[in-house]
Amino acid sequence: MEWAWLIPVLSFIAAPLIVILGPKLPGKGSFLAILAIAAGFVIFWAVLSGFLGASPDSSHCETSADTGSLVCDYQQEWFHAGLASLDQSVTLTWGTLIDPLTLAMLGLVTFVALMVQVYSLGYMKGDPRLGWYYAVHAMFAGSMLTLVLADNFLLLYMAWELVGICSYLLIGFWHERPAAKEAAKKAFIVTRIGDVGLLVGILLLWSEVGSFSMSEAFNAATTGAMSEGVTTTAALLLLLGAMGKSAQFPFHVWLPDAMEGPTPVSALIHAATMVVAGVYLVARAFPIFQAYDGDALLVVAVVGLVTALMSASIALVSVDLKRILAYSTISHLGLMMLSLGAFGYTAAIFHLLAHGFAKALLFLGAGSVMHSTEAQDIRQMGGLIKVMPITAIVFSVGALSLGGIPLLAGFWSKDEILNAVSQNRNPVFIATAFVVAFMSAFYMARAMFVVFFGQLRQGLDHAHESPWLMTAPMMMLAVLAAGFGLINFNWPGAFPGFGGLIYFHEAEDFHFNLWIGVLSTVLALGAFWLASLCYLRERISPDILRQKAPWLAVVVENKYYFDEVYQWAVDRLVLTVSGFVALFDRAVVNDVGVNGPADTVRRVGFVLRLHVTGHLYSYALAMVLGTVGLAVLWWLRSV
Amino acid sequence: MVPLAYFQLVSAGLFAIGLYGVLARRSAVLIVMSIELMLNAVNINLIAASSHLEGLANFAQFDGQIIAIFVITVAAAEVGLGLAIILRIHRNRSTVNVDEIDLMKW
Repeated sequence: MEWAWLIPVLSFIAAPLIVILGPKLPGKGSFLAILAIAAGFVIFWAVLSGFLGASPDSSHCETSADTGSLVCDYQQEWFHAGLASLDQSVTLTWGTLIDPLTLAMLGLVTFVALMVQVYSLGYMKGDPRLGWYYAVHAMFAGSMLTLVLADNFLLLYMAWELVGICSYLLIGFWHERPAAKEAAKKAFIVTRIGDVGLLVGILLLWSEVGSFSMSEAFNAATTGAMSEGVTTTAALLLLLGAMGKSAQFPFHVWLPDAMEGPTPVSALIHAATMVVAGVYLVARAFPIFQAYDGDALLVVAVVGLVTALMSASIALVSVDLKRILAYSTISHLGLMMLSLGAFGYTAAIFHLLAHGFAKALLFLGAGSVMHSTEAQDIRQMGGLIKVMPITAIVFSVGALSLGGIPLLAGFWSKDEILNAVSQNRNPVFIATAFVVAFMSAFYMARAMFVVFFGQLRQGLDHAHESPWLMTAPMMMLAVLAAGFGLINFNWPGAFPGFGGLIYFHEAEDFHFNLWIGVLSTVLALGAFWLASLCYLRERISPDILRQKAPWLAVVVENKYYFDEVYQWAVDRLVLTVSGFVALFDRAVVNDVGVNGPADTVRRVGFVLRLHVTGHLYSYALAMVLGTVGLAVLWWLRSV
Repeated sequence: MVPLAYFQLVSAGLFAIGLYGVLARRSAVLIVMSIELMLNAVNINLIAASSHLEGLANFAQFDGQIIAIFVITVAAAEVGLGLAIILRIHRNRSTVNVDEIDLMKW
């Protein structure tokens, strides 16, 4: 278990190696990244078995008072700052923290990253910058793994920003395309806005606790050493960072645009790295959120609910396959936040994993479709099951799972969330959550039916199944997307179920609330049935809604005008303020502060240079007068 | 013994003539010669002091003479260098009038 730090470090080593040695290696060194992450995946199992065998008596391990679960912390001194002699020394540490939450994330990240990297061998084949792609990919995976392993906020923040910069590089990977460039910048800047909140939150915790250590901060929050106001403020600031990274309302605008990157990158961002970092952060800092009756959690729940509802509705009308999936991701991240906000810690993490597998699968499937048809608009697709059956089947598995069809993973995880919401929040939340669940099923059904079923579209005859390098990872992900829910139950024997591993204070049994289960099943099946009527058999025209409420359709199709509002705000407010600042900079800082002294020196020099006449006798005279002057001075002094 | 003041008067007169030459002459060669005059005025002063102030505190017997020999050596080197420079200037600009040699100004 003490070797867990190797998991990210291997990927970090692979990245520069690929850049330096890549051009000389076969496949531009892509195998290095794959080997590194595959080794990480293997080490993950070793760490997992080590952790399952550990007890609170093992060295470095204890039962955390903050979360109630076993935690193993391997801490190292990093560096000293300040003067030890004056007793003002600050010692910073870094280390790996291994607890069930970390393990769950480690498994998800290493597995999905491995699948995506193998898939990319096929998808990115022949790209001139393949080496760079894999180098950044390795960095990305390494950063995310560091993020989930970090045992203090400083290291977490560093990894957090590394994730941000890697996502910027990957979204803008095809930077010859202006749209990709813009999308990369947008993703970076929007998430940065949230990151400021995170940074301030971390510094606030540091000033209160005197340490970046998570466990100390959690202790201070739960034992009451930190006042209610500070704790709630810190929680909300951390939430701000999480909202930026996890694309929560109102920071959700960057995620759909991030579709400009290569599709495997989208799969990685949406499933395993980047966006789940926000959910992870809230889950990790749950003791802070939950302290003092969890006032902050209500905000988390509302943010999650609004995000889920809004983006699910946009996904219903989007016509770009990848954007449908992107809005679906935002919506499901909202559900995870909602679940955390409703004290559904286990449910949120379970949904994070189930959604991760399904969404990676869906994106890889979408990539497979685009690889073969070179189209993104679902209106140009149809009946692709006839030409690419494997992709169609695995995509359908992912869609059904995410749509919440019973017995697949998404059904169980969504059920757990609805359960938590119905128990701990007021009925408005659960009612809206059901609406989201219905919409979620409907848009997944829509994407699945329109793209893969029905008549094969004209002009798609050339489409073909993708190579096995791409289909094999999808099939493995499909197995998990379908069967992952099975670990939710208490199986007879030693296995306590997912809730027995990942829980907050109390181990959770698998619970199945009959009315919620039945209702969500009915809703999911109903949504798929309705979608099949609309898009497959075309009995109902989806345009009915458009005719009944044209304004609603327009608003939703324009994504609630968020981009326009932000653009307006940037143009009118930010640029105006920037104009004043620029004026101040030019007039005061530049002209007076910088050029002023320079001008003075030049003018003085202009006058002073006149004494350099070039005439020998003037110099000689100056020498003589100087000597005489000195002599007179000396004489005067001696008298 | 000739009093020290006489030597000093001669020396001062010689130095003043040299100074006048340096300030008033236009020809570089004459200026160099005037500098020589000034140096020799100093030499006279030094030698005279050396023989008259013998036995005074802080003065060893041969100090003035030794310094005078240094001055002569340096003066010889200076004349060699100075005349060489003047020669080059003359070759280049066909003049040794220092009023016309004023390129080294602002």
